[in-house]
Amino acid sequence: MSEKNHNVSRRQFLTYTLTGVGGFMAAGMILPMARFAIDPVLKTSSAGDMNAVAEVAKLTNEPQRFDFSYEQKDGWYTSEVTETAWIYQDGDNITALSPTCTHLGCTVNWNANEEHPNQFFCPCHGGRFEKDGTNIPGTPPTEPLHKYVTEVRDGTVYLGKAEPQI
Amino acid sequence: MLMNWTTEDIPSYVKEKKYVDTALVPLISLEFGDGIKQSAAMNEFITVISKEMERQFRGRMLLVPPFTYLEDNNINDLKKLAEEWIKQMKKGDVKHIILITADPSWKKVEQELEGMLLWMPLVPFENMDDEYKKQVISEQIKQLLPLVMDKWKENP
Ligand code: FES
Repeated sequence: MSEKNHNVSRRQFLTYTLTGVGGFMAAGMILPMARFAIDPVLKTSSAGDMNAVAEVAKLTNEPQRFDFSYEQKDGWYTSEVTETAWIYQDGDNITALSPTCTHLGCTVNWNANEEHPNQFFCPCHGGRFEKDGTNIPGTPPTEPLHKYVTEVRDGTVYLGKAEPQI
Repeated sequence: MLMNWTTEDIPSYVKEKKYVDTALVPLISLEFGDGIKQSAAMNEFITVISKEMERQFRGRMLLVPPFTYLEDNNINDLKKLAEEWIKQMKKGDVKHIILITADPSWKKVEQELEGMLLWMPLVPFENMDDEYKKQVISEQIKQLLPLVMDKWKENP
């Protein structure tokens, strides 16, 4: 008797579940079409553009903070993104580092901790990096700060994507 | 990595829980009467500031959906509700809770709250051009950062 009750409820359960799956299947049929329609738009926006960020004349041997923004197209939606770079010049070499800590992504600052001068410091878990972005062993980050693709044209520094150094 | 309340971020949060020990909760008041404009300005201001905080501290901070309430609610009742949130978060291993708001009524119950209250005087973004807006935000953030870092230092 109790087993019979059990069966009924199990069948009911199955019915519910199947309806649920059906619902999902219907959604699945619509989704691929939508994705197909969006795809070409996404592709055109992925060109790695270079952005003018700083004048070479303003650079020093000490990393300085420069903010720059650009428009990002995400399908049909355009939004303005602001990014930061720490840039310094060493002879003819210009290095632009991303401020995103390679541990869990907080924003690092140059020379921000009195106990550790001339390093990048992460306020979250005390991650530290050398001037060239190398992570300091014994602190949480396990790879160097990412480096922007850099180009100089007519006395202006242009930055592309930030890429891993290793 | 972005620690937002989304299906994309919550799994990373769960995985990195021992590092992400702080929750940021915006307290937002709603008013549909004469104060509707003020209410919208506060919402806009606090939303922008909390997003920016999250950007700075995303490796240690989780941005929780805002605690939203009607403006004419009694502040002591609201405090009780907020405490309920705090209790649940603490149960879920959140060590530090930061409440951020532009609504001055919270100042009255600040001492009794278990989390840290960041009260910001409202800067209305109305009629501000983008450059100026950015400057204002970064100024405000600069003042907030040391407060948060001190809080972490005092009880790491
Ligand atoms: S996010 Fe920078 S040390 Fe953890």
